[in-house]
Amino acid sequence: MKFAWLIGLMAVLFILNLFLGSVIIPISEVFKILFSESATGQTESLIILNFRLPQAYTALFAGAALAVAGLMMQTLFRNPLADPSILGISSGAGLGVALLLYFTGTASNQVITADIISHLGINMAAFVGALVVLLLILFLSNKLGNAVSLLIVGIMIAYVAGALVGFVKYLSRKEDVYAYALWGLGSFSNVGKSQLPVFIISISIGLVLSILMMKSLNLLLLGDRYAVNLGLDIQKTTIFIVVITGFLTAVVTAYAGPIAFIGLAVPHLARSLFKTADHKLLLPATMLLGACLALFCNLIARLPGFDGSLPINSVTSLIGAPIVIWFIFRHRNFSTQES
Amino acid sequence: MRNVIECKNLAIGYKEKYKKETILIPDFTIELHESELTALIGPNGAGKTTLLKTISGNLSPIAGEINLLEKNLKSYSSVELAKLISIVLTDRILDQHIKVFDVVATGRYPYTGFWAKLNQHDQSVINNSMEMVGVESFANRTFNTLSDGERQKVMIAKALAQNTPIILLDEPAAFLDYPSKIELIHLLQNLVKKHNKTILFSSHDLELVLRSADRLWLVASGKPIITDIPEQLILDGIIEQYFNQTGLRFDAMKGQFSQPDRGNKRISIFADGLTGIWLCNALERKGWQVNHDTDEPVCVHYIKEEYILIYKEKTSCFKKLEYLLTEIDKYEDN
Repeated sequence: MKFAWLIGLMAVLFILNLFLGSVIIPISEVFKILFSESATGQTESLIILNFRLPQAYTALFAGAALAVAGLMMQTLFRNPLADPSILGISSGAGLGVALLLYFTGTASNQVITADIISHLGINMAAFVGALVVLLLILFLSNKLGNAVSLLIVGIMIAYVAGALVGFVKYLSRKEDVYAYALWGLGSFSNVGKSQLPVFIISISIGLVLSILMMKSLNLLLLGDRYAVNLGLDIQKTTIFIVVITGFLTAVVTAYAGPIAFIGLAVPHLARSLFKTADHKLLLPATMLLGACLALFCNLIARLPGFDGSLPINSVTSLIGAPIVIWFIFRHRNFSTQES
Repeated sequence: MRNVIECKNLAIGYKEKYKKETILIPDFTIELHESELTALIGPNGAGKTTLLKTISGNLSPIAGEINLLEKNLKSYSSVELAKLISIVLTDRILDQHIKVFDVVATGRYPYTGFWAKLNQHDQSVINNSMEMVGVESFANRTFNTLSDGERQKVMIAKALAQNTPIILLDEPAAFLDYPSKIELIHLLQNLVKKHNKTILFSSHDLELVLRSADRLWLVASGKPIITDIPEQLILDGIIEQYFNQTGLRFDAMKGQFSQPDRGNKRISIFADGLTGIWLCNALERKGWQVNHDTDEPVCVHYIKEEYILIYKEKTSCFKKLEYLLTEIDKYEDN
């Protein structure tokens, strides 16, 4: 029942994303453009098919991916404050982008602004940076074999990557630092129509794989010793979860920048809303809620008046932070629990 | 009687990377008997948890081998093992939203397919398990609403849902109040008698296990394990030998620990039944050596619901035990 509501809400938000914006296109027009080939007005058809539709799809899939990645991190590390960026993967992506901007800018000594560097280049650099960190984490997780050490190592890697980004930024030209800052604010509008299929397919693969981890995730809730006794291979499960989370985070960060808070806040929302810890319900619930929240944030960022000028990361944080604060007030004792 | 688990020349302990292994219990051979309630007893840090981890296949032994149902423990896959041995720990489950039913349902996971879908049979096993330990009424409650005793029962229900012939429990009584401890022990005895389970539980509460376990495994740091039925261990003086530490004395008469003698204040009491036992308890608590029905300079008679204290041919009567104790405290130096 709650799922039906969520799916309905998602559909409504999706459609609102298509017709609200700096140019308001009537709903009837939107449907006409979507479902019949013969578009009435050229401009409106262009806005919807080339800009708003890809943006809505990006928000939907990125939101679902980040939320699920956050859920899996929270369950794996048994830490309510874990999120997709905790393993340093988004920091790796950031380092990739910073390096790209530095080398195409300062090093080649040409005046290139972020507009001229194709989005594809940035996407690739972010993805490669994220992947390098993911491989490093995987290599280490094989050696460490316990979740707490892995968590600390991940946070340390994030610090190192952040420090390197600072170093590269210091060496870079003003324009490139600005371009990096823009990337860091996040945006759902960077996935062009042509890249959309790759984005959607990659995220879908990650989401399907996460659903396959359902049973293992439920066992992890009981703690390592119970999980092992019930036949779970902790080492393998940890690697699977890190790979799936890392992949989802890498893809989203590559295309939309480091988007904060959705991955942290949505799993808590889902738990409170469905009053369950069972991943059979939580996984689909987080996906839907993540998609809804991302679509909603995108809508706010694009409200008439803001004219697309609000960066998505500010919006997610403005909405995400009160949710986390509310959660802490509701579960005041969650941080004081002994292990 | 069949041995479900045999430990042959086992040495257990732990090994950290780049460090020498630490052996907690050296070279011992021991069997776990089918359909018995066995208590693993010993002081903190002696290796009880390590032994349970080793037997459940969670930790490799440092030397020797373990046979489970006449086959080497290592030859079982993790899922096969999950259907033979279940564990109950004192670890807290951190996720507070988890529902009691969902926790018990994880006991069925080794039997379910990829999606952990519970069929009719699984459902009925889960419900039966919850009924057996008496938690069926809070199937839908979340873990954070339960008391320690209730959580313990839920984890036992999980072990029952796992439907294993062997159940290992690590310090199941540690966080429980006294009535809950007794309830827990009755539950375990019941599982052994009525459901043919083989149960091994660790405890550092000697008084509790002496009264309840069919067999004891006695662990002390660095010594081999000794096993026998509890009464024989007391009669042979082995419990005293294993547990006597400075400041504590095992009283074989009472089956409990007591403080060693504090002084040479002697008293004799003439009282029967319950009054005699608790009068003795009160006087010992105050540091007297109590003798029954002998001739001491100080003696107490209990006649017609009054305590009569005789000291140096002086007689005083007390209606309440407390008044007697207040008076007798004054006789510090006799």
